[in-house]
Amino acid sequence: MAGTKEIKRRIKSVKNTKKITKAMELVAASKMKRAVASTLRSRLYAEYSWEILTSIAKNAEEITSPLFNERGKENITGKILLILITSNRGLCGAYNAQVIKKTLSMLRGVAVDIVTIGKKGDVAMRRVNQSVLASFFELPDNISISDINPISELAINEYSLGKYDKVLVAYTDFISALTQKPNIKQILPISKTELKEFVESLGYIDQHEEHGLNKKIDYLFEGDRDKFIGTLAEKLTKMQIYQMLLESNASEQSSRMVAMKNASEASGEMIDDLTLVFNKARQSNITREISEISAGMASVS
Amino acid sequence: MSKQLKLKIITPERLVLEEMVDQVSLPTTLGEITVLPDHIPLITGLTSGDVVALVNGEHVPMAVVGGFIEVKSNKKNITEVAILADFAEHVSELTEEKIEQAKTRAEELKKQAENKEVVDFEHFEAELERSLTRVKIADKWRTKKYRK
Repeated sequence: MAGTKEIKRRIKSVKNTKKITKAMELVAASKMKRAVASTLRSRLYAEYSWEILTSIAKNAEEITSPLFNERGKENITGKILLILITSNRGLCGAYNAQVIKKTLSMLRGVAVDIVTIGKKGDVAMRRVNQSVLASFFELPDNISISDINPISELAINEYSLGKYDKVLVAYTDFISALTQKPNIKQILPISKTELKEFVESLGYIDQHEEHGLNKKIDYLFEGDRDKFIGTLAEKLTKMQIYQMLLESNASEQSSRMVAMKNASEASGEMIDDLTLVFNKARQSNITREISEISAGMASVS
Repeated sequence: MSKQLKLKIITPERLVLEEMVDQVSLPTTLGEITVLPDHIPLITGLTSGDVVALVNGEHVPMAVVGGFIEVKSNKKNITEVAILADFAEHVSELTEEKIEQAKTRAEELKKQAENKEVVDFEHFEAELERSLTRVKIADKWRTKKYRK
């Protein structure tokens, strides 16, 4: 009976692994759905804040807030702040590897300080000796906007102090459940064209509203316009980071789902193979025993 | 039927309310205003406090924290009031339990702020303001009548 026992044990352990991967797949699927839903829900806010911004400043010259303007030549420091969004946990396919690779490819030749969100990115950046300015690990699964406060404040403060020329975010774009794309986007200084693309990428803007936008409305203003634009810029920055985090979260869950699905399938195949080997071993045992018996009988008679 | 206006309360997390109302009172950065149908287009800042809409003689109070207000008329000549808030909640959602939580949270935050040397002030400030607004607005509406 040599061998059959070990094979049996292996089959059992593979079965247990399959159960775990299956469960993880289901969990990731439901989390993904939630993440996608919250991405859609925040779209409306982005659209409206964009609308308000465009109605405040019909042309870019009116905007004097430092968050909107590129640095003047005399103030250039040549440094860039990059916010890297990765996951806290592994087992999610190429999700982290992709975005880290993308980040590393842009690190060459530029002075970059990094703010990491998620443990995986933090570990990777420390390994290549990048200077990490801050790390955020403890974000809950369902992120609320108040969780973003420290991150956006950090980015805005560091930028306003003039330490950095630009603030970029490396995140993973959620295209569909099967495709995610790592991406790097500039969030500060706010460029109007990029912001417009961002808002439009969130989904269609109602055609009717589009017409409404073109028709110029003379708004009455209450309060200090510059201060107003400043807070609006902060909110938009926060909003963008929030949106990117949600996208990354959705990507993480969906790539984990796919990875776990593959793992479950692979373990299914493995069980089949092992069962075949097990049956063969058993059969050869039986055959051997019969031939031993008949050989014994032949020698006796 | 008298003229109504469309009230939208939007937070980054969700669309909290979208409803036709008769009038709405809002806490702006320069003081409280009440918007009636056919108000002129207006953009202003929102402070923390309560947004009170009036529907068929009933009050609909919402606790809000920080943001913007945009008033405009849309194509069908209906006045639209869009409130972009960081946080918004209907007063009935502010149950006793939640208020207690908010209170203890506010206390905790205050204590933490005292103990820590380097404090993440912005975060604390936002959290504290949110908690305090919840408590204040809930207290204000405890004895008054409103539509759930």
